[in-house]
Amino acid sequence: MTAKFAGKTAITGIGATEFSKDSGRSTLRLAVEACDAAIEDAGLTPADIDAIVTFTVDVNHEIDVARSLGIPQLTHFSRIHHSGGAACGTIHQAAMAVDSGACNNVLVYRAFNERSEDRFGTGVQGRRATADPIDVDFGWSSPFGLLTPASWVAMFATRYMHEYGATSEDFGRVSVADRRHAANNPKAFFYQKPITLEDHQNSRWIVKPLHLLDCCQESDGAQALVVTGLDRARDGRHAPAVIAAAAQGSAEDQQMMKSYYRDEITSIPEMGLCARQLYADTGCSADDIDAAIFYDHFTPLVLPQLEEFGFCKRGEAKDFVRDGNLELGGRLPINTNGGQLGEAYIHGMNGIAEGVRLVRGDSTNQPEKADNVLVTAGTAVPTSALILSRDR
Amino acid sequence: MSEFLDGLRKQIGTRGSSAPARDAVCAAMIRHWCDAMEDGNPVYTDPDYAAKSSHGALVAPPAMLNAWTMVGLIPRDRARGGGDPQGSVLGELDAAGYTSVVASNSDHEYRRYLKIGDHLSGTLELVDVSAEKQTALGAGHFVTTQTTYHDQHGEEVGAMRFRILKFKPGTGRTRPSADGAATAEPAPRPLRPRPGISRDTRFFWDGVQQGELRIQECEGCQLLSHPPRVRCSRCGSYELGYRVASGRGQLYSFVEAHHPQVPGFDYPLTVGLIELEEGTRLLSQLIDVDPDHVEIGMPLEAAFVEVEPPPAAGQSGWKLPLFRPQRPERRETTLRFEDVEVGQRLAACPIPITTTRIVACAIASRDYQDVHHDRELAIKRGSPDIFMNILTSSGLGARYITDWAGPEARLRNLAIRLGAPNYPGDCMTVYGTVASKQVVDGVGVVGVEFRGTNRLGNHMTGTSELELPSGENG
Repeated sequence: MTAKFAGKTAITGIGATEFSKDSGRSTLRLAVEACDAAIEDAGLTPADIDAIVTFTVDVNHEIDVARSLGIPQLTHFSRIHHSGGAACGTIHQAAMAVDSGACNNVLVYRAFNERSEDRFGTGVQGRRATADPIDVDFGWSSPFGLLTPASWVAMFATRYMHEYGATSEDFGRVSVADRRHAANNPKAFFYQKPITLEDHQNSRWIVKPLHLLDCCQESDGAQALVVTGLDRARDGRHAPAVIAAAAQGSAEDQQMMKSYYRDEITSIPEMGLCARQLYADTGCSADDIDAAIFYDHFTPLVLPQLEEFGFCKRGEAKDFVRDGNLELGGRLPINTNGGQLGEAYIHGMNGIAEGVRLVRGDSTNQPEKADNVLVTAGTAVPTSALILSRDR
Repeated sequence: MSEFLDGLRKQIGTRGSSAPARDAVCAAMIRHWCDAMEDGNPVYTDPDYAAKSSHGALVAPPAMLNAWTMVGLIPRDRARGGGDPQGSVLGELDAAGYTSVVASNSDHEYRRYLKIGDHLSGTLELVDVSAEKQTALGAGHFVTTQTTYHDQHGEEVGAMRFRILKFKPGTGRTRPSADGAATAEPAPRPLRPRPGISRDTRFFWDGVQQGELRIQECEGCQLLSHPPRVRCSRCGSYELGYRVASGRGQLYSFVEAHHPQVPGFDYPLTVGLIELEEGTRLLSQLIDVDPDHVEIGMPLEAAFVEVEPPPAAGQSGWKLPLFRPQRPERRETTLRFEDVEVGQRLAACPIPITTTRIVACAIASRDYQDVHHDRELAIKRGSPDIFMNILTSSGLGARYITDWAGPEARLRNLAIRLGAPNYPGDCMTVYGTVASKQVVDGVGVVGVEFRGTNRLGNHMTGTSELELPSGENG
């Protein structure tokens, strides 16, 4: 199976607010500011936008965003489910909508005050025990004290360490690479603040085996992107970042953050499903990927992502992450913006924007070659991924 | 006060007369002890096994040493003859208001294991009376004695150094408030989150309240599924029942939560993913085990724990199925000296503390102190409930070590020091480490350090040396 829309659309505009711990503005204001900047970057005006795609968890209604931007009409609007797993899914949806003829220029956004107002890190402690499916689902974990995203991911991490001999230091190498790249990115939270592996090891426990420096920083901010047909994209202000392939994935016995009941829990089969689709649609293999933006809300699940995409064999990511492989000049520079650990946690959307910059040649950590860039979305949830390529 | 203390201390060094045990070592008392302690070592109770063992016949559990000469229910004035220095000192302390007693140390030395028919006598010497000390329980004096045990032939078979605290009830750290009113009730504990329950999952939570761990089972094809589904994903049946799980399983993965700290939980909090014997997994909190003793693969069992107070008297509070380590299996072949390594850990052993266990073990050790069986009197003496006696702690410590080492391991000594009491409703988990290993006069002797912790802290810390067989004939 190959996707009919693969390679026929592109991201032409990116725009973001500053990333902070307290934006001081409403999330709607953040969304509109980011969209405004993305439309400008695409060389379009609000009147050119005729579709909007965002996350189901985004609180900002597309009609309110359209009203403030002065978008006169929309012929397509849709939302993608499953939190950070939606990130590349929004681009997937936009590309399909454009290719189908439902619309021409799709605006995609994600905006939140995730630090100053709605902190994810505090977990789900305040939920009521209703018969709604979401509360029934939390019923299997919350009464026992497994209440936070860090704890849900840590459960996978412990088993992964046990089966493959990975260590906390191996997770730390992801954090060190991210922070080295963030140190070079003026927009990043941790600009000019690199860390050492020792800093990582000395940081306090959040949920063992996760240290503080295994966890992304909760952030306020917004990121927007514009998706357009490739022919039209070639008239834009920047070289198009071709959506060579985009895919979603949900695998057997899929659960939200807690797929603990499968035969094994050390792989990410929903990400493997994305990988197979992306490679089938592009004819690429891991060898053709020059850089990658891996979803890194927590470091441990970056390792099995490397395995699912074939950069190394199952269980061998702990070896792959050594020797600077993940850093600029290494085999696979990752998260050149600093990732969500180093730049900001904008639910994976800032990573897609970095993928666009890499293809344009605009990253503050630009590798020599960035013809094909892999971007992934949330791990441990139904997810999505895409390959952005230089136009040929 | 010092005059009072001087009077007590004058008796240090005095030795009582030899007090014979009321009964010879007998199978009935041994069996009663083994039942109460749940000690299954067959050298104590299985004559055929014991005959073929290195003992050649049934032997008494070594930790029973001082149980044989306990006075039992005889009134004290008749039990102690004149010249008993301990009885005299205790009487003077009682008269001075130090009416409550707890044991703090018991150091046993075992020269040989006792056999059926051995008839012991104990000779007690007063070793020390401390100055008054303020302890958590109250102001009191520590009284130390040394008892030497001989058999009917005059052979010394063992010795015990024993330390008790005689204290004034009501002088401990939990005092009435300044205005003289009773201590304020502690603020009610915040509740942990309750689960969302739907029509499809109610069977699971109803089962938990009844002490059953239920796994959804397809009535068509017997597929087990957790969390439950509404249709069998294998055969398509909507006829879904459940199977009651054994409650036993193994730890598949776990985390130790430190931050954020959510009201209703104690941190660090260990949460495990448990693979049940039946094959499905579920999440639960691990209890009664130190986080650093948690490891993937450890055997666990469910405990149905009330995590909320009962809504009304006589009802049960909301329960959750939490998991604690399974009691380690008793070794049936004795460890060989060569197979033990210094630093080696003994598997953690949880021992649920119930009123029945406290009372049964106290009586099995012939300890009729009211604080070990009479709740009202225990409260009157300043305790929140009855609590475990020190002979039981010794007996459980010895059981822990011989369950690990095997039926023919011979204890040379067993010393324990008590801390936080074991009250009903708690669970004591015992941990041990091999601390030393040496050959003494051609015999392999292993030193074990152990401790038993409960929800209040450390109940006991102890050491023991045991002889293990060597070589092929071990």
